[in-house]
Amino acid sequence: MVGALGARSIRQTFRRPQLLAPIVVFPTLLLAIQTGGAGASIELPGFPPVHSFLQFMLAGSMMQSMMLAGNSGGIAFAVDIEMGFTDRLFAAPIPRFAIVLGRLAGTAALGLFAALWFLAIGLVFGTPIEGGVPGALLAMALVTASALAVGGIGAAIALRTGSASVVQGLFPLVLVVLFLSSAFFPLELMIEPAKTIAEYNPLSFIVEGVRGPIISGIDATQTLEAVAAIAGVVALGLVLSARALRHRLRVG
Amino acid sequence: MQAITVEGLERAFGDVLAVQGIDLTVAEGEIYGFLGPNGAGKTTTVRMLTTLLLPTGGRAGVAGHDVVAEARQVRASIGVALQEAALDPLMTGRELIRLQATLQGLPPAAGRERADSLLERVDLTGAADRRVGTYSGGMKRRLDLAAALVHEPSVLFLDEPTTGLDPVSRKTIWEEVRALNEDGTTVFLTTQYLEEADQLADNVGIIDRGRIVAEGTPESLKDEIGDPHVELLLAEGSVAEAERVCAEIGRLLPPKDGKRVLVEVENGAADIPRVVRALDEAGIGVESLELVRPTLDDVFVDKTGHHLEKEESEDGGEEPVPA
Amino acid sequence: MEAAANPPGKALAPPAWRANLATIGALMARAKNELVRVPAAAIPGVLAPTIFFLGLNGVFGALTQLQGFETGSYESFIVPVSMLQGAGFTGAAAGVNLARDYEGGWVDRLLVSPAPRWVLLAGNVLAASARSLIPATFVLAIAFAIGAEWPGLDGLVICYLMVAATAAAAACWGSMLALHFKSQSAAPLMQAGMMALILFTPAYAPLALLQPWLEKVANVNPLTQVLEAARQGFVGGVTWADTWPGLVSIAGLLLLLGSLALREMRRTNV
Repeated sequence: MVGALGARSIRQTFRRPQLLAPIVVFPTLLLAIQTGGAGASIELPGFPPVHSFLQFMLAGSMMQSMMLAGNSGGIAFAVDIEMGFTDRLFAAPIPRFAIVLGRLAGTAALGLFAALWFLAIGLVFGTPIEGGVPGALLAMALVTASALAVGGIGAAIALRTGSASVVQGLFPLVLVVLFLSSAFFPLELMIEPAKTIAEYNPLSFIVEGVRGPIISGIDATQTLEAVAAIAGVVALGLVLSARALRHRLRVG
Repeated sequence: MQAITVEGLERAFGDVLAVQGIDLTVAEGEIYGFLGPNGAGKTTTVRMLTTLLLPTGGRAGVAGHDVVAEARQVRASIGVALQEAALDPLMTGRELIRLQATLQGLPPAAGRERADSLLERVDLTGAADRRVGTYSGGMKRRLDLAAALVHEPSVLFLDEPTTGLDPVSRKTIWEEVRALNEDGTTVFLTTQYLEEADQLADNVGIIDRGRIVAEGTPESLKDEIGDPHVELLLAEGSVAEAERVCAEIGRLLPPKDGKRVLVEVENGAADIPRVVRALDEAGIGVESLELVRPTLDDVFVDKTGHHLEKEESEDGGEEPVPA
Repeated sequence: MEAAANPPGKALAPPAWRANLATIGALMARAKNELVRVPAAAIPGVLAPTIFFLGLNGVFGALTQLQGFETGSYESFIVPVSMLQGAGFTGAAAGVNLARDYEGGWVDRLLVSPAPRWVLLAGNVLAASARSLIPATFVLAIAFAIGAEWPGLDGLVICYLMVAATAAAAACWGSMLALHFKSQSAAPLMQAGMMALILFTPAYAPLALLQPWLEKVANVNPLTQVLEAARQGFVGGVTWADTWPGLVSIAGLLLLLGSLALREMRRTNV
């Protein structure tokens, strides 16, 4: 059942280019602008040794796509709720949480697509992946897992509010969380108070976990920290989704 | 002088010819009813006459000006209330009329005065300073009509002005249209309601699939059709037999549904006993019987082979929307 | 309903220029309604450039340590970018609103009036231009609060002029797309187009510090001169040499996009 709902979610996602495009086009545009505009920053004292600013930025762009995918998945779920599709599923003899998991499959697929897209961009522009194939696979796995995690939060918001426009209105929050992390610049070189906030932002740990294999190779500590951060977000998403699901089933 | 003249007017959307070379004239001071089902070409014709759409063939003149070469002069002379009442829900009724007055080039003081008098005329004075978003459907239509009149146009276009309204609101709009016409305004009214065309129009043009199939006064069109008919509602299973019996008395007309038989009778009410006797002798049970004089729907059937009302329920197709 | 009284004689028509001005004013007043009667509608237009300003400042602030930066204050360097971003967003939103008006039939009401097409367009465009001053002022206030340099009165005036003109250009762009596609689905193109135009400039760093490909693009992008004109007071002094290219560029952009938008306005009946 999860598979069937997951397949529907994935088909829905990739059949609507007008929904897919912003998740990929906007971060790609921003990647171009930021590498073009701030590319000289790799000369700053304290900047990690990288091949190019593009190599540094790839992880941040994947994170951006991933966050937008989570938001988009939440919107799609809210639309299902508004149209009454989820009511039909609730009335069916299937485990309730399977409905949420099925929806998350689409979000995870988007995350994987985003990871592949930006890795491809990096390779096309001559950016080496220092961790090689294992490094690339690790980056893809972490992005996919974090898409699942963030998707869980998006699904929880959708279940709680039942409104696509409310979920859509959270888009600025996505930007805020990204800026307050090390997605776009090294933590050490950020300006206060953004720097302190970024130090504690779980997204920073995930970004570093994805970035490490690209700019320097696989590091066990970095990877474990990323996994722990993802697990934390997953746990939060699970708790929020479960509560929101109970609420929705209660009030209808 | 003719208020509206149309010669060979055509409009194509790609391969689809929505209006296929129509000719019509509307005299000054007339109410012209343009009657046809959904998708017939009514709205497309109105949009061409109001300069919102360029014809792809033929010509048309409104208030003495060509709709293509003198479009601006046409717009200055006409008032338009389109099918979808295009109102801003955030504006008040008064603000809307004043904006319309400004769009029409009225000085501010004159615009204010016209707004007050028009709001009173359409009975919206009490709601004038409320937002349009709070108005009922009937109120919105009346406001739209008032806005169309702000500059005292010589020709008024109303595109299905009562579609979707309740009977009371519809009657109110009819009264206002009559009153406007009494003041000398020429009215070009499109409608899919037979009764509306019958009640209001001096002349009716019937359009079907982009062509005018009949034109004339409602009475002359109905007289053309000829005789009244008897409409029989029959018990289940007896329609075929009843048709056989009635065919010997008069001409059968196309059925509206599977339970009725329609038969033309030359002598009107005098033929009813004959019909009843024949059916009785054949042992056919009749649930109800009615003598029906020709309607514009009958005219439509005569010209097109199908009912205007049945057309609506079978084919709710929209006219091709201009791209 | 009351029977109609004899209608009054037609009012004397005002001169065309006065009628046109009145129409533009009335359309601007209508556009103001959304802001006044649905204040929450203004929030996205103010929030987006503010988030970008604070975010970019927090993230890229250390760039001022690089050789070639005219100022040590990144917030001073980047605040004109965010003000122009707000202008772009506001202008594009005017296009989205026009598309919505088209879908709802409101544009027919305008098109069926004798008002000239350029007047109808000007109402929409000038409304966006005026409205862009709100997010610009909000971002500027935040910038001053966190330490941006005072640009001088001349620098401030020129900056606001560039903002208002950019919003007008963005509204022409959005209106052109709205009238061409006749649908709100063109909204992403309206927003993305302006975003690209504003950011493919020395937005993040001075021209000399840009990567070669972006430096080439920025050199031909008219918004570069507009940005430099808007920025000059914040990073140094105001000079005519830094001002006139911006004026010429934005005038040229307005002429081009305005002509295209007017063309679409005139072709709505085709």
